[in-house]
Amino acid sequence: MNLRSIIWQELKSRPSAVIFNSLTILLGVAALVAIRHVTVHSEKEVSKQLSNLGANILVLPKDATLQNYYAADQNGGSLPEEHVAEIYLAGLSGVEQVSPRLNVATQVDEHAITVTGILPQSEVEALASWQATTMFMNTTDTGCCQRTNVVSAQQLASPQALIEHRAIQELDKNAIVVGADIAAKLGCKAADRVELFGEKFTVLGILPTTGTVDDGRVFAHLHEVQRLSESGATCNAIEIVGCCEDAAGSLVPQLQELLPNAKIVTISQVVQTQVGVNQLMAKTSWIVLAVMMVVGGAGLAGAISSNVQERRREIGTLMALGATPRYIQQLFLGKALLLGLAAGAIGCLLGVSAALIVGPAWAGVSVTPLVGTSLLAVLLATFVALVAAWWPARRAAQLDPCICFREV
Amino acid sequence: MIQLETIAKQYSGRGQKLTAFRCEALTIEDGEYVAIVGPSGSGKTTLLSMLGGMLSPSTGRVLVDDVSLYDQSVAARSAIRGQKMGFVFQSFNLIPYLSALQNVQVPLSFAKLSAEVQQQRATELLVDLGLSERLHHRPAELSVGQQQRVALARTLVNDPQIILADEPTGNLDPTSKEVVLKIFDECHQQGRTLVVVTHDPSVAERATRRLTLVDGNLVDSDEIETSTLRPASAA
Repeated sequence: MNLRSIIWQELKSRPSAVIFNSLTILLGVAALVAIRHVTVHSEKEVSKQLSNLGANILVLPKDATLQNYYAADQNGGSLPEEHVAEIYLAGLSGVEQVSPRLNVATQVDEHAITVTGILPQSEVEALASWQATTMFMNTTDTGCCQRTNVVSAQQLASPQALIEHRAIQELDKNAIVVGADIAAKLGCKAADRVELFGEKFTVLGILPTTGTVDDGRVFAHLHEVQRLSESGATCNAIEIVGCCEDAAGSLVPQLQELLPNAKIVTISQVVQTQVGVNQLMAKTSWIVLAVMMVVGGAGLAGAISSNVQERRREIGTLMALGATPRYIQQLFLGKALLLGLAAGAIGCLLGVSAALIVGPAWAGVSVTPLVGTSLLAVLLATFVALVAAWWPARRAAQLDPCICFREV
Repeated sequence: MIQLETIAKQYSGRGQKLTAFRCEALTIEDGEYVAIVGPSGSGKTTLLSMLGGMLSPSTGRVLVDDVSLYDQSVAARSAIRGQKMGFVFQSFNLIPYLSALQNVQVPLSFAKLSAEVQQQRATELLVDLGLSERLHHRPAELSVGQQQRVALARTLVNDPQIILADEPTGNLDPTSKEVVLKIFDECHQQGRTLVVVTHDPSVAERATRRLTLVDGNLVDSDEIETSTLRPASAA
């Protein structure tokens, strides 16, 4: 028999009280852990998507939102494809790569998929050449391109370039490049024939898994997608790779002037918006934590206080048998410690489980357990429990031991 | 030896001071069997609490083996209680969520004895008291008499020199009461000091000395010569 076993036996004798007393802390920890997991993974996902995006300027329809862009949602409207030519004709300095995109929803073997129309770089370059513009590779004239984003035709040769550089050098009109998830769903591989919009296409290649929306897309030639979806010469977005951040900065007002009916968004704006949302979520999670912990701590303090009141004669008896005030204090602090640890650990497990389910389902991000966050949450719960129990435990230690002789 | 020197315990309330106990001098020698009798509210439990180092007097000193209890720290008084004193309560005060064996082990845990020693000593004592079949039962699963025997085992397990009992037979049937009184007799014969607060004249009669309290005053003290009960050392 020792302090630990006395605490443990007392806890075991009142399991419902234990659960009830620590429920608020448990739920607080679960909420915190779940929100933090989703937030952190959301930040990572944004960072990954931005990295994969490659472009540092987006030209979107006036009414489109970033969600429309990421979700390949056409409800945001469309842009005339001729904007691509207009951008070239304007001879804006610093433009290195222009990639128009048109997203169209369709079905293949009862699977809903998004077909993204893209213009191969060989045709873009031909257009540029035809327009006699000299902006491509014109890195020295602008004086800004210390870090060039220009990639060679060789680098754009394979379908994987769509992932790495957001462009492909050549794409026949009867060829498609398939995202990893869609390829798995359709069970197709390179050189297979897949029917889209009632016509057969040859699979040029399967993209590696990226963890982004690209996994669920099929890439085809822009003009074929326009023809088959009867969209006309339109696109949903034009991705522009500027040669450097300074160029991107000066490009925006020029592009806004050039395309007054379009929305020009820079990556920095995207980052700021997404980071702002994530920061808001992070702050919200701390507010939730604070509220839950205050309520949970107050609840536990009340419960321990009642426990001290109920056990006054037991406390007096223990003191009569030789327990010191310090021992009595440890008896209640030890109980709080166990409750805090248990509530923290179970809350953490619940929170992580919730994040694993809710993350992909509601926020569209895959979540993996964060050890540091989880440990911090358990420690925090334990700390709150100890602080909550401090005063009642101290009061118990100061009880008059002669209470053991009274009928209480 | 227990000594009380000009002891008084007063309580304040409603602008008045109420004296719960007063005593100019009292000495209880080692090995004495003392009964404290008196009507309800006469200060018996107050006296017992002060003797046990659990209630500090308003004035005066309580000495146990020449150590002034209330000049010690709270922790030191706890240690003295754990080493030298054993308490018997009217309502047994067993810890409800611990088994009989665990209840008896509690005082040993304060003495920092190993789990094996604790278990061995507690088991031996409970077996001696006829509770070998009830070691792992909780208090609620025991009869009243068995609960009091467990409480007595807990009192004796630390081998205390002084036993302080508050109405130890108040809740017991005649058979259980006799068992308890026999144990007290044995303790007395072993040379322990017993101070028993009781209403029951038949319990008081077993003691070698009776103190009578009326309204907090020690008004009478008689010493009963009972050679059969007097410990060998005091004879």
